[in-house]
Amino acid sequence: MSGAAPTFTPLGDAALVVYTPQARALVSRLTQQPPPGLLDAVPALGQVTLLFDPLRTDAGPLAQAVRRLLATGSAEPAHPGRRLTIAVTFGGPDLPWCAAHAGLSEAAFIQALCAAPLEVAFVGFTPGFAFLTGLPPGLQMPRLAAPREQVPAGSVALGGPWAGVYPRATPGGWRLVGHTAFQPFDLARAEPVPWRAGDRVRFQDLGAQGG
Amino acid sequence: MADLESPERQGGELEVLRPGLHTTVQDAGRRARALGVPGGGAADGTARRLANALVGNPGAAPGLELTLLGPALRFDAPALISLCGAPFAATLDGAPLPLWRAVAVAAGQTLDVRGAPAGVRAFLAVRGGLLGQEVFGSCATDLRSGFGGLAGRALRAGDRLIWGPALPAPAPRAVPAPGLHTPVGPHHRLRVRPTPDLTPALAASLCGPPFTVSAQADRMGARLSEAVPAPHEPARPSVPNVPGLLQLPPDGRPIVLLPDAGTHGGYPTPLVVIQADHPRLAQLRPGDRVQFEEVSLAAARHALLAQERALRQAETALRHWYARP
Repeated sequence: MSGAAPTFTPLGDAALVVYTPQARALVSRLTQQPPPGLLDAVPALGQVTLLFDPLRTDAGPLAQAVRRLLATGSAEPAHPGRRLTIAVTFGGPDLPWCAAHAGLSEAAFIQALCAAPLEVAFVGFTPGFAFLTGLPPGLQMPRLAAPREQVPAGSVALGGPWAGVYPRATPGGWRLVGHTAFQPFDLARAEPVPWRAGDRVRFQDLGAQGG
Repeated sequence: MADLESPERQGGELEVLRPGLHTTVQDAGRRARALGVPGGGAADGTARRLANALVGNPGAAPGLELTLLGPALRFDAPALISLCGAPFAATLDGAPLPLWRAVAVAAGQTLDVRGAPAGVRAFLAVRGGLLGQEVFGSCATDLRSGFGGLAGRALRAGDRLIWGPALPAPAPRAVPAPGLHTPVGPHHRLRVRPTPDLTPALAASLCGPPFTVSAQADRMGARLSEAVPAPHEPARPSVPNVPGLLQLPPDGRPIVLLPDAGTHGGYPTPLVVIQADHPRLAQLRPGDRVQFEEVSLAAARHALLAQERALRQAETALRHWYARP
């Protein structure tokens, strides 16, 4: 088995944080073979938080189960990532600022953003919100000093190392560069959340397609 | 024993005459945090379990969570109900309704729940369990995203709610011991575990001095009024939250996370309230005083075991009562 050994930190008396570069594979294996007492496994970048029932298990047995799961099978998750293309209408309120910050014209900035091979690192924060990784350093934007009280649903935004699409209107501190009709959370669909960690994502400039 | 499919099993319907301040359908919550979906569910889990046990429901059955000011509900069919949690003043057709016990309701009667002098929330269980929109395995109302329960929203006047079929049963005479009631304010001691974010300086400012619950308290979290020196970490990554976590935003005013909190957060989180004290978080009322007390993992475990043993004893006794031939 490749990869560094996982490390563990308890979080209160009913959760255990696992630090491992194989967070994605671990979540998929925990879902297939949940150890007794595990309630939920929540991934983030390089870590998985295990919520457990302290009346049924403990950090010790869970850590053992995690080590066992990581030691068996390949480092790659069972299913290959999907590819999603998200059509974006660029022109968000922060687009001029972001282009200037990147030292590019707006057109060149949009082109560079659409060329970036993004990947879903994990889903979280609000239902369906995906943290998209893979922005080249020049396109990474500092968050706003004070978050907006309301970011419209469908906003395409950049914050720190991340890109994202707001599934619904929420407060938000990322820079808004565009808008999309793509809905990251829709209970009317068979699969309400259309992406998972490992899926590959590209933005497509709707304006550039114009007729 | 009666057949489960026998025609005696009846459900029923109630009408919301007055919705109350913030009344929602809740149950034991959902497990879809990896999709960004909050756990949800009744904030006071003890009240939920005992209210359900008192009417012979499974502990996770959906009921109504009441907040600060209760609803007025007219039952169109006979029902068996129980109200557990903060000491709300309630009447059934004008007669005082006792809390923490099962009460038979005749068709046409009106349950009128007013305010509570202390605490915030109570759980109203109806024998048979309320029906609601199920999302990711739970009927809990998620107000932020607008799903679950009754159209993903709080009750409104004129709404109708349906409960599931169950064999009629008289109200059990048994009542849970008062020691099982979730404590309400105005003074709370919350037992906590430290996280790696707890520095000695933060420990000194958080563990010991009293805090005041601010008016910003809802199902996402209860914000405290007094500020502590918060570390400034703008580049901190977003990591998973857990229930009972104490979040420290840049202004230094701590937020205790409740069931509807977002699944991930980017603020330092120096403390976690232990499981045994989670039901108390539901009762944090603006103006209440809170003190955090660090305890060992062994003490946290002991407290939870003792509480669980007592709860299960009550649940088992009631289950036996309902299983009588």
